[in-house]
Amino acid sequence: MYPKIIQEHFTYPKNVGRMKNPTATGSFSMPDLAKAVFYFLIEEGIVKDIKYQIAGCPFAIAVCSILSEYAKGKNVKELKNITLDTLGLFFEIPTEKEECINLSLNAFLDGVKSA
Amino acid sequence: MGRIIYLDHASTTPVDSRVLKKMKPYFTGLFANPATRWTSSISQKVDEAVEEARKNVAALINALPEEVIFTSGGTESDNAALKGVAFANRNRGNEIITTPIEHEAVLKVAERLQDFGFVIKYVPVDSEGFVDPDDVKKLITPKTILVSIMHANNEIGTIEPVREIGAVCRERGVFFHTDAVQTVAHIPVDVEQMNIDLLSLSSHKFYGPKGVGALYIRKDVQIVPYMDGGGQEQGFRSGTLNSTGIIGLGEAAKLGKEEQEERESCIKEFRDAFLKKILEEIPAVYLNGPNDDRRLPGNISIVIQGIRNEPLLVALNEKGIIAGGGSACSAGKKNPSHVLEAIGVPEEDLFSVIRITIGKDNKLEDIDFIVENIKEITNQLRALSPFWEE
Ligand SMILES: Cc1ncc(COP(=O)(O)O)c(C=O)c1O
Repeated sequence: MYPKIIQEHFTYPKNVGRMKNPTATGSFSMPDLAKAVFYFLIEEGIVKDIKYQIAGCPFAIAVCSILSEYAKGKNVKELKNITLDTLGLFFEIPTEKEECINLSLNAFLDGVKSA
Repeated sequence: MGRIIYLDHASTTPVDSRVLKKMKPYFTGLFANPATRWTSSISQKVDEAVEEARKNVAALINALPEEVIFTSGGTESDNAALKGVAFANRNRGNEIITTPIEHEAVLKVAERLQDFGFVIKYVPVDSEGFVDPDDVKKLITPKTILVSIMHANNEIGTIEPVREIGAVCRERGVFFHTDAVQTVAHIPVDVEQMNIDLLSLSSHKFYGPKGVGALYIRKDVQIVPYMDGGGQEQGFRSGTLNSTGIIGLGEAAKLGKEEQEERESCIKEFRDAFLKKILEEIPAVYLNGPNDDRRLPGNISIVIQGIRNEPLLVALNEKGIIAGGGSACSAGKKNPSHVLEAIGVPEEDLFSVIRITIGKDNKLEDIDFIVENIKEITNQLRALSPFWEE
């Protein structure tokens, strides 16, 4: 039903929750009230810690988790260039799930762009 | 795959093994077209079995066999009823009354009829989904030709007061159709007692095969057949009969009548125990629709606040538990349920609804396992949710 990596990250999402003193945050909502929020701790341009909250479908949840793992230790500048195609390197993106994936991606980008 | 606990019976049911056994000979040996019964002995046997099925379906709803027309299911029956009555009675008027909580098989047909000059009026429902027969009365004018109100709602289980609505229609000389897809064989249905002129039913909702159903048409109802051709089913519904399916439907109807009371009481016991447990175990959960005898025995529709239903359903599926409630997600485009909106479920809860619909083979012993899993997954999803504060 779901690509393996989506299944894994949906079942055991990593880096879940809020952050006390984030240096940057980002969020995105859908008209149907699905919502994602990202919290970043960035020191000298490097992502030291990242957390998120999400109310969305399994794809959206898994993508938050994948993005959070991907971002750790990376330079924010580099992260600003992430697109749907970048995620396409991890798994095949079904067209009808693009919006769900964009929910998480947009929240993530909103955070890194504000950093 | 391991053991499956199936809790989506309002969506469809498995074919009962006794129904399958009854159907089997009619796939191969007894395959002939029942229409050629005068010249072929196999056809005659098939025809006899089809007529036996018709009697069984008629008996289940207290109709006459000749008032039962076989169709391809609930959707076709609803289409045939609404379009058929509308076009046959155009000279008498153009107004049709229905509710905002009907299945799409009625709502979309009503919308279509607007394109042909018919006017659709919607009777409101209250916060539990009930129609007030007095409201129906108020909407009827001399131009009203048809009232179509479902017997019970597929999402929230509300059983409408169809007998009273039927009485209002009869008093005013308006035809009354009811979509009884969710009630036939589940609770008593009696077209005489309930003042029903047309009734839709569907086999796969009560342990019969998919793709077959029936439309009850009271003798004095004027209706235009919408499927023209070879003139089968008294000219109401042309096309070679789906004899195997019909015979399966007939057997499901027979079993449904024999076992209805027993099934209803077991299912109610499951429902009440399940509801009690889930409300005790998980905070911020509430029931949609009525919590009394005016609710379908097998229906539980609950809001679990702070989470979305789709990840819950997917995670439950991984544990072998199949429940309903979410249409496939495409995030922003996903439309909320028109039924939940009509009864005034708050916007923030519209996507937090799961529907558990119980069948005759569900086991009381499984309730703890099911509720424990729902609880565990709910806790995980709430921990993730930006909308949930402990
Ligand atoms: C109330 C109601 N009406 C009509 C239908 C459609 O029936 P069918 O699937 O047989 O076309 C359904 C089934 O989903 C239903 O629940």
